[in-house]
Formats: sequence, structure tokens, C-alpha cells
Amino acid sequence: MEQSARDEILRKLKAAPKKGIRSRPVLPPLRELSQTKEELIEKFTKNLVEETGVVHRVPDNQAALDKLTEIIQAEGLKKVMVSTDDVVASLDLPAWGKRNNVQVMTPKDFPDRNSFRDAVFNEAEAGITGADFAVAESGTLALIHNKDQARLVSLAPILHMAIVPLERMVPVYERVTEKVFAKKDQLPSQFIFITGPSMTGDIQGALFKGMHGPRRLIVILVG
Amino acid sequence: MKKDVSLFIPCTVDLFLPHIGEATVSLLRRGGVNPVYHQEQTCCGQPAINAGYQKEARQAAKHFIEVFGKDEMVVSPSGSCVCMVKYHYPELLADEPEWRRRAEDLAPRVYELSQYLVDVLKVEDLGASFAGKVAYHESCHILRGLGVSEQPKKLIQAVKGTQWIPLNAADSCCGFGGEFANHYPDISEAMVKDKVDNYLASGADLLLLCEPGCLLNIGGYFSRNHPGKKVMHLANFLAGNGRGE
Amino acid sequence: MEIKTEQFTEAVKRELQNARSRAFLKLMPPVLHMKRDISLATFPDIPAAQAYGAAIREEAMERLPELLEEFEKNALANGAKVFWARDAGEANAYITNLAKERGVKYVTKGKSMVTEETGLNEVLSKNGVEAWETDLGEFIAQQLHRPPFHIVGPAINVPVEEVCDLFMKKANMKEPTLDPVKLGYAARLFLRDKFHHVQMGITGINMAVAETGTIINVENEGNIRFTKASPPTQVSVMSLEKVVPTMYDALHLIRLLCRNCTGQKLSAYVSMDSRPKKKDEMDGPEELFIVIVDNGRTKIYQDLKARDVLRCIRCAACLNICPVYGQIGGYAYGWVYSGPMGQVLNPVLLGLDRTQDLYRASTLCGSCKSVCPVGIDHPSLFLYYRAKDVLGDPYFKGKKRPWTEERIFKGWSWAVNRSWRWNLGIRMVRPYINKKATGGVIRKLTRSFDGWFRSRDLPPLAEKTFHERWNEINKGKRANG
Repeated sequence: MEQSARDEILRKLKAAPKKGIRSRPVLPPLRELSQTKEELIEKFTKNLVEETGVVHRVPDNQAALDKLTEIIQAEGLKKVMVSTDDVVASLDLPAWGKRNNVQVMTPKDFPDRNSFRDAVFNEAEAGITGADFAVAESGTLALIHNKDQARLVSLAPILHMAIVPLERMVPVYERVTEKVFAKKDQLPSQFIFITGPSMTGDIQGALFKGMHGPRRLIVILVG
Repeated sequence: MKKDVSLFIPCTVDLFLPHIGEATVSLLRRGGVNPVYHQEQTCCGQPAINAGYQKEARQAAKHFIEVFGKDEMVVSPSGSCVCMVKYHYPELLADEPEWRRRAEDLAPRVYELSQYLVDVLKVEDLGASFAGKVAYHESCHILRGLGVSEQPKKLIQAVKGTQWIPLNAADSCCGFGGEFANHYPDISEAMVKDKVDNYLASGADLLLLCEPGCLLNIGGYFSRNHPGKKVMHLANFLAGNGRGE
Repeated sequence: MEIKTEQFTEAVKRELQNARSRAFLKLMPPVLHMKRDISLATFPDIPAAQAYGAAIREEAMERLPELLEEFEKNALANGAKVFWARDAGEANAYITNLAKERGVKYVTKGKSMVTEETGLNEVLSKNGVEAWETDLGEFIAQQLHRPPFHIVGPAINVPVEEVCDLFMKKANMKEPTLDPVKLGYAARLFLRDKFHHVQMGITGINMAVAETGTIINVENEGNIRFTKASPPTQVSVMSLEKVVPTMYDALHLIRLLCRNCTGQKLSAYVSMDSRPKKKDEMDGPEELFIVIVDNGRTKIYQDLKARDVLRCIRCAACLNICPVYGQIGGYAYGWVYSGPMGQVLNPVLLGLDRTQDLYRASTLCGSCKSVCPVGIDHPSLFLYYRAKDVLGDPYFKGKKRPWTEERIFKGWSWAVNRSWRWNLGIRMVRPYINKKATGGVIRKLTRSFDGWFRSRDLPPLAEKTFHERWNEINKGKRANG
């Protein structure tokens, strides 16, 4: 009987000689693990700013909305796509949009993926999302994709704005994945780390932002 | 009674650059030990191993172990040859446990010259002087193979009157690689040219190094393209009172 | 990809004439290497961090079949489909079929070196499915029909004038420009349209986490995210050595990968997929297909020493520090993988006979080994392949050497273990060599040494070798009195 590719590959690998596994060497813990909350916020900010991210810190949700208003007006934005995650939901952006003469779309406004896709590609001038975590070690946002966090919202528009409650700041990636991947039967379809805008250096090594994804990333830290 | 130290003279030195061997003898005497030379030594086997001729290289390895196996200390003015003995012999002889054991037993007793002077004899100033600027090329096997970098620098900086000039890309390969230089001349030439360009740009009067192979390569390139430019083995620099090879 | 590994010498000659490439190679790799050093300093102990990376990959290779099974089990339980391909033919046929079954007219592709091995794009194209590379460098290389110049920047050596011409012809660019940013923007517009309407996306896989059945992609541009988010069908392809035991392991390797590769702490986007989208999600794949490709790796795996080659995480730190790569660039290596990692991988994938120059064109300087975050000992592998080649070892297709060379080493080995033979040989050969000396140096010998003497002299053999002078030296007499 002909063996399937899978069986043949595994059989060959299993038949190979063995060397034995050595125990792992010692790995000293990262410095971030022993830093204070304020140090972590500072490190997060410094790291993200190095990647041309813009970081604002505001005390509360109202201040976050004020900051959003400021940005929207400065940028002259008229149409944005927002997620429906818990952070964004707590800000009631559709209402804010009405107050500020900005059309606020959410993925749920659309009957199917294609019409949502059209809107987020062609019409949204910015994407606004929350974030599940902020990681200080590299100035990184962590987003879990699900029904309230569509992938394209933070990817297709030229500007991505993320609002992050400060209690979600952690020192290192492990603190995030420990939670996100804790239950094997409850894994998110996609989980993502975002560190700054889209970037490339592929033409003669000249670095620039906004290759395929957003050209700019603005983060509003709340708390 | 002075301690005996066994001289391991690389074939490049034996054949082309015996003055490096002479200088080594002189330095060891200044350092307070008695150099002995086993006449039966031939070659460590590097050319054969590098070309993939392991069976032939084993002949060299076994002969080497026979010649040097009983010495308390073996010293050589070449990092690549020392690497060969210390790190390649045990693997080369892996299938013959008794030879392998003898190779592993010998390995810790084999030293490159600058390593031996500084780490074992604890000597840095050997009485030399030189009025001028010197740059130092960090040969691959000495630096990355043996981890020897501070020792030659200490020895150079202890020479009265020398001015240390940093060399750009000092740790970059000069393009020798034994047979590589002859079989891949286009690449090798590009590499030695870069090394030489960096040296010329440094403004130093003299280029120093610890590896006879690199010396043949860079020296040979100087001779053809930059007559008058000088490259010297550290042993001669330390032994010759700056008078040259 | 077409195999041109046997044209190494000609390719090297040609590449060394390319002034633009050489100017780029003088600048870029050293900059990347410097950035690497700066970013590695975030580890409290750099050697420990690199050693830990080596330990992870060593264990992953030792446990390879078990980890692949664990990965597959978890991926299947999550709702992904897993397909195993023995070789290029099986992988290409499977993926092409998926496209045809779904009536897909074109796919967008994230960078996948294993699909360059298998030549997937050509097969798709022959079957009426256009494959658009979307990583900017891969896009340029694809449109110019060039192999990759550097793992990370496949077309980074291509001058802006050429890119401009290309984009005017093939990427709907309206106005000519030599500004890389404007060129990039033109590519963004062109490829954005592809992302917008794509029905099937194909990506590679940087790491497959056995513990959770998760595939991970690391990128800066966002083209992989688009390729995964926009279409209803996602196909992700991995060569089978990409699996790692746990998420913790993956995170440590990602830290090492980003620092060793571009000197970043983390690339702009790291995306981790564990399953197709849930019913209520508005984007992402309805179907997620994971293709595990062998294509010669189970063969490599049988050899305990060559197996270490499979640890490679494609960071390109070895390219950036290699003095040979730094002169000749990526094209000369003749296949998918270049630099030291290509010199250790191509020979065991393609055969030692077709790649004789790849494992010989090295001075064994050890720089590659010194930077590798997963502990691959490239110089030792070069020596291993050379030995296998000399023996004509059939397993990896050793070719054996010209008999003239074999004769020389036989002679050498006959002399090397009896010093009287050795020294007699020297005495016999010396007058013949030294009579070629002019002006105190040798400028030429026989044709087999033309390589050396093209640009270098050699001192004549010493009138008296150290061995011959020992008695004088011992008594403290100098050579010239």
C-alpha cells in the first residue's frame, strides 16, 4: 500500500539517528521585568517614537476623546473606520463622530465581507482601534482579532490610531501570550503585535514608512 | 634550570619565513624559558583538512601527536596551526578512541605565541622599541578561533615609542584562506585589496599581525602593488628592536 | 528557481564588475551589522541569549517528528487543514489545485523561500493563476526575473533608475521618479489594488509553534497581513524545519531574528494565526491551509552533522558579516539561498557535485559562526562537505576530485609523517622554485598557481629552512651573520 506523504516523511524522520537533548542553558531575565510602571510607560513611548509612532498620554476617557477630536481636526479627517472592541466601545465613537462632523463606520455596518473590504480600502481615512496590551520592551501593541477587532481596520487606512488603557501595559511579550494562548480551545484566529507604522528599505536601503500598511501610527495611552 | 618549551614551527615559517621562527626563539629566551625544537616535526595538516583530505590529514595529526605528545608546553607563532591541533585533531581522530584521547590530552598544552607570552609567562614588555605608528590586523583563527585579541595588543603597546593606530575593519578576513587565495583569486584579491586600502588609509608606518599565512598574502600583495609598504609578524617586531625582518 | 550554482566562477567575475552592487555592499551590510550589535544590547547577556537560541533550535531538530505531529494535531483541532508534500511537485500541484478549484485568477504572495525552491509561481502561472509577489523587494525581483540579492532585501541592489523604468512599464506608474519613497508609493498603489480584490493569499511561515498549532509571520511592510486578512482562502507554506516547541521558544527566537536581521527589537508586524476566522468575523480566511514541505530535508536530517543546517531561521546575519558575500553579493551563489547559510544549505539540498564552489569559496574566517543566533558552525560544515566530496560519498553526491589533486595529497601524506622524506622533498623542490625568482621574489610559477601570482608575489623558499638552521639558531647565530 502506498504510504501517504505524511507517513513517509514522519517515518523517515523517526528512523533517523538521535543525538540526545541537552538541558537548556541559563537565560538571564530581561531588564524590563524589574522595571516600575512609570519606567515601562517611558520605555514603551521611547521605543515607539523611535519607530516614528506618536504617543499621547491622557488621564481618562474624556481626555482621550478630546485628543481624538484634536487629531481629527488637525488632519481634516471626515471618514473613519473603527473597531467595536471594548476600549472603543467605552468611548462611544459613533456619538463622538456625530458631535464632530466625522462619519464613523464600523465593520458591523456592512452586510458582508466584500462591502466592508471596499469601505475600509477606499473610504476610511483612518482606522481607530483599542489594543489588548501594550508591551514596553519594544513599544508594541498587541491586538486579538475577533468579531470586534477586524484585521483590516488597523491595516488598510493610511493612518492607524489606537487607544490603550494603561493598566494593559506589560513589560514583555510573554505576559501577553501567557494570557492569549492560555486555553488551547480558545485561541484567537489571529493575534498580532504592531510596532510602529508599515516600513520598508527594499529600494537601495532607503527606509520609509507606509509601504502597504499605515504610514502613521498614533497611540493614546489612557490613565 | 630553565623550563623547556617546545617549538611548533608552521611549514610556512619553516619554508618561507624562518626569521619568524628565529624571533620566536629569541623572545622565549628573553621570557626566561628554554626553547626546544623537535627535528621530526613536519606539518600540522591544515592544507589537507581544508581541502577535504581527512585520511591524509590524519597521517599528519598522528605524526604531530607522536612528536609533541610528551611536551609540557608547545608554542607556535601561528594561530591557525594552533587551532588545527586544539580543535580539529580530536574530531579528525574521533573514530580512533586512543588517538582521540591523546589529541584531547595534548590540546590544552598548545599555545599561540602572544597568548603564551602574556597569559602563561605573564610578560608584556620584552624590551623592544620602535619609533612610529603601527596598526594591527586581527587574523581570523587567532581572534575567532582562539579568542586571542588583547594579548597581541598588550605586547604591541608595551613597545616603547610605538603609536597605536586603529585599523578600520581590523577583524575582517584578509582573503588568504590557504588554497582559497589561489582557487578563488577574484574574491581573494578583492578582500586583500580592501584590507590594504584600510591599512593605507590608517596612516600607520607598519602593519603587524600574528599569522604567517596572512603575512604571505598581504606581504605578497604589497610587494607587487605597493613596494615599500611594510607588514611584519609580531614576533619580529618584538624581537628585532624595530630594525625590520 | 533555476539552479546556476555551477556557474559560480563566471558569476563572481561578473558581479565583481558591478560597481553599483559593490558600492551597496560596502555600505549596507556593515550598517545592518552595526544595528544588530546595538539592538542585541537589550539582552542582559548577549552570548547567553544567542546560546539559548541555539539550544531551542537544536532541541527542535532533535524532536522534529514529534513536534511536527504535535503541531499538526493542534492545527487540525483548531480547524486548519494540513497538507504534507514530499517534494516540489506535490507542493506545487496541491496549491495550484486549491486555486483552480476555487476559480482563483490571481494570488498575492508573502515572501516564501521554500516556494522559490519549488518554483510555485511558474506552476501557478502555467495553470492560469497569476502569482503576485507583494514584498516590495520580491515584487521588483519577480518583475525583473532576477534571483534574490539578499534574503532581507531581495532587490536592494537594483538602482532606482531601473526600478523607475520597471514601474513605468509594469506597475502603472504615471510619472517617472528616482525618489525611493515615491517609487514605493507607486508600488503601494499598484499592489493595493491586488490586495483589495484578492481571493486567495499564499504566505510563508517563519515559525510554527507545536504547543498551540500556531503559525507566525514576521514582516515590516504589511503585505503578509493583507495576504492573510483580505482573501477568504489562506495558504501558508513551510519547510518542515520551521517548527519550534513552545510559544515562549518562538518569542525568544523572534527577538533574536529581528535583532540579527535588521537591528530592530521587533519588526513592524508579527502576526500569529491559529485557525480560520470564526463565523462572526468580518475578515480573515474562511479556510486556512498549512502546507508542510520536505523537498530534501528528511534526507539532510539523517546525517547528524548536516542536520544542524536545519536550525537556520533566515536572519541573514551571516550574509551581513561574510567578507566573501560582501564582495560578490547574492546572485553569484546561484540559487535561492546565498551567503554562508546558502553555502551550507544549497549543497545538501542540491548535491555536493553541483555546488562544489559553494562550500569551497570560504576562507573559514569564522565570522558567520560567530554571529549565528542558532549556533550553526558553518566552517565546520564546509570542511565536512569538502571531505565528503573528496571521498565521493554518494549520499550527498560527492564527486571526487581531479586525480592530479589526489596525487599531490597522497605525496604530501607520504612525506608528512617522516621528517627525512619531508625535508628531502623540500631540498629537491627548492632549486626549481627559486630559479623562478626575479628581483628577490617569485612572481610566477606553474599555471596551477596563477591564481596567487596574478596580483601577489611570494618570497623564495629560504636558502636554509628553519629546520636546516636550527643548530645555528640554537647557538644564537643570525642568518646573515
